[in-house]
Amino acid sequence: MESIISTRGLTKKYNSFTSVNKLSINIKRGTIYGFLGPNGAGKSTTMKMLLGLTKPTSGKFRIDGKKMPEDRIEILREIGSFIESPSYYPNLTGRENLDIIRSILGLKKKDVEEVLELVGLSEFGDRLVKKYSLGMKQRLGLAGALIGKPPILILDEPTNGLDPAGIHEIRNLIKRLPKMYDCTIMISSHLLSEIELIADDIGILNHGRLLFEGSMEELKRTAKAQGIKDDNLEEMFLSMVNVDNYERMQRAVL
Amino acid sequence: MIGLELKKEKRTGVTLVLFITGILGALYVLLNYSIRGDSLLAMPMKPMDILLTQLYGMIMVLNVFALIVATSLVYSMEYSGAAIKKMYILPISMCKVYMSKFLIIISMFLVSVVIQNTALLWIGKTELSKGEFEIVTLIAYTVYTFLTSLPVLSFMLMIALIFENMWVVLGVGVAGFLSGLALATSKTELLLIHPFIVMFKPATAMTSNVNVNTIIIALIETIAFLILGLVISQNKRID
Ligand SMILES: Nc1ncnc2c1ncn2[C@@H]1O[C@H](COP(=O)(O)OP(=O)(O)OP(=O)(O)O)[C@@H](O)[C@H]1O
Ligand SMILES: [Mg+2]
Repeated sequence: MESIISTRGLTKKYNSFTSVNKLSINIKRGTIYGFLGPNGAGKSTTMKMLLGLTKPTSGKFRIDGKKMPEDRIEILREIGSFIESPSYYPNLTGRENLDIIRSILGLKKKDVEEVLELVGLSEFGDRLVKKYSLGMKQRLGLAGALIGKPPILILDEPTNGLDPAGIHEIRNLIKRLPKMYDCTIMISSHLLSEIELIADDIGILNHGRLLFEGSMEELKRTAKAQGIKDDNLEEMFLSMVNVDNYERMQRAVL
Repeated sequence: MIGLELKKEKRTGVTLVLFITGILGALYVLLNYSIRGDSLLAMPMKPMDILLTQLYGMIMVLNVFALIVATSLVYSMEYSGAAIKKMYILPISMCKVYMSKFLIIISMFLVSVVIQNTALLWIGKTELSKGEFEIVTLIAYTVYTFLTSLPVLSFMLMIALIFENMWVVLGVGVAGFLSGLALATSKTELLLIHPFIVMFKPATAMTSNVNVNTIIIALIETIAFLILGLVISQNKRID
């Protein structure tokens, strides 16, 4: 299957610290790609590079055949995204906030109502966002990504700050999206247990390096080959990270 | 683009601040004249010079602070909820956003200046004797004070873009005002680089004569800060 997002040797250095290290990932069209890694692994940094928020130190990537920074506007037109914390105009209502995004994207009025409904904010659409709870802001951020049904979604920990019922609801929503309309989703998380329920493929990142990329089945096989128990996937992910950390330490000692 | 910016500015009071400044300035003119009009006109100067220069000082102070507040508001709303972060990942040029903010503030400021000077026009028409009131002088002075205010507008918008903390922006504004005030009467031409001093210029003169050099400097500074602001808005990165 053809990749809609592919990176080659993507690297981001902050001074001497390497946040993302020669990352090469492939995200297939029409799939959900779970981007997994512990805190500070470089997930957000990678996503920011894909969106043109930060410049890669080296390496390159293509999104739907287009390149940054030449085709920046074209790329951004195709991507709905949500990075780290929600962003909003506190002086506007939820509905007005989405209307700003709607007019920039040249969408129809009804797209705002549709997406408010989708994320469960219809009831609170006319409340000022500065009066929103954290979870409501998170939903609004998600709505800002989903509005107008963009062909690509880049979602950085979209369930952060939601209550258990909210996590469940949003997870199901995301899982349903590719069936609702034709789209590709890249979603980051700390928890394999969360990702395994929705993702077709996963990429595991640790200290900026890709430890694994492939389907869930392949992950299980790889784990078995490495002598890691596969009855608990979360444990498998953690031990993969631990093994990598251990090897890094060994290298550092030598 | 401007429509979009106006939508964003809802409830921030950006346009309101400038509009109210116009009204307050006009009220100040009317009140001041009704209280000390006679003693003002008794000064050994041309009546038109008295009318324009003696009242402008206070109006200018009002305008300086209105510009400081308005410029800091148009960017604080972008930063306070990190809305600008979302703007960066939407297909929109940050240059155009900056330009729209500039145009909105400059238009509202023009409205405010017109309101203030309408009050002067009214006094001139009703209080000065026929031969003394010169409409051309009033219009020229209005244009002059408007143009000499633009460097502060342009400079402060750039500052508001650069500093994400609104208090820093207000601090720079106040520092600019105070340092400008301290240096306003200095004869050194080089000091006209200071945008606030350009704005103070008409207020420190004893006549309502238009100084063409000051206008040229004002225009150059306005455009220079505008270009600088546009370049910064294009290259600024939010992490
Ligand atoms: N602007 C920056 N300057 C310096 N270092 C940075 C900057 N942004 C990120 N980093 C560093 O890069 C590393 C990766 O950060 P990143 O935010 O991508 O991690 P993450 O995988 O998203 O983690 P989390 O799960 O905590 O969100 C971290 O060590 C972080 O400190
Ligand atoms: Mg992150």
